Amino acid sequence: MSSLVKCPHCGLRPREEFTIRGEVATPRPNAGADEAVWFDHVYLRDNPRGEHSEYWHHSGGCRRWLVLTRDTVTHETSDVVDASTLKLGEGA
Amino acid sequence: MRDYPLENRSAFPPLVAAGAGASINLAPVTGGFVIHVLGDAKSDEAALSTAIKTIAPDLGTDLRKSAPNQWFWVGDADVSSDRLAEIQAGLVNQFALADQTHGRVRMRLSGVSSRTVLAKGTMVDLSADVFAMGQSAMTQIGHIGAMITRIEDDSFELIVLRSFAGSLWDELHHMAAEFR
Repeated sequence: MSSLVKCPHCGLRPREEFTIRGEVATPRPNAGADEAVWFDHVYLRDNPRGEHSEYWHHSGGCRRWLVLTRDTVTHETSDVVDASTLKLGEGA
Repeated sequence: MRDYPLENRSAFPPLVAAGAGASINLAPVTGGFVIHVLGDAKSDEAALSTAIKTIAPDLGTDLRKSAPNQWFWVGDADVSSDRLAEIQAGLVNQFALADQTHGRVRMRLSGVSSRTVLAKGTMVDLSADVFAMGQSAMTQIGHIGAMITRIEDDSFELIVLRSFAGSLWDELHHMAAEFR
């Protein structure tokens, strides 16, 4: 079933237990970057067909932030990890 | 720590009738304590259990994992704020305690139909061969966040926020109606 998410801490849980935050943003631009770059970062979201990384919060379970890799066509989730295990945007 | 004493009082009226039935029974757990234990990233349950055994051997080590490095420590004794401060002082600074006795309510659902009743609200597999005795799961029953712990063969203890206890109690009665 597509609506089941495998939480790395709690195991298989229904989608209803989660709150979805949205896509994992690209690394933050430099403070002095062009306005267009900032506009893109703050307001423009990708809407890819296929694999997509998203922040999900297991609000009805362990209350941990997870990063979930989801296929937007099939809704299959290929990878779910605790957000703390990733160091995103480092050195950006 | 709070600077005034809290009087722990059950969320249930003194004479709440346990919902008795042939195959299902729902009863509140009055008294006792629920303490939220928060550990740092490297903490582990075995170390916590050992520490508790040394500091407060009379309170038992019923630790129910709620999240990575977080547990609910549950017991039937009454723990005063002074006693809690004493226990906290004795623990290595790897663990922090937060008293939840006033904020979280325990109730027990037992009987051969208990799994069928809970299955109406949660999708956690509570089958005897998957969900071991003493195992806990933080989940939702309907839309109410609750922790389910298997305490006996067909008996489960639920920990729920006090303000949701009344709703959950009513909901469980509806869910169990077919078995009475």
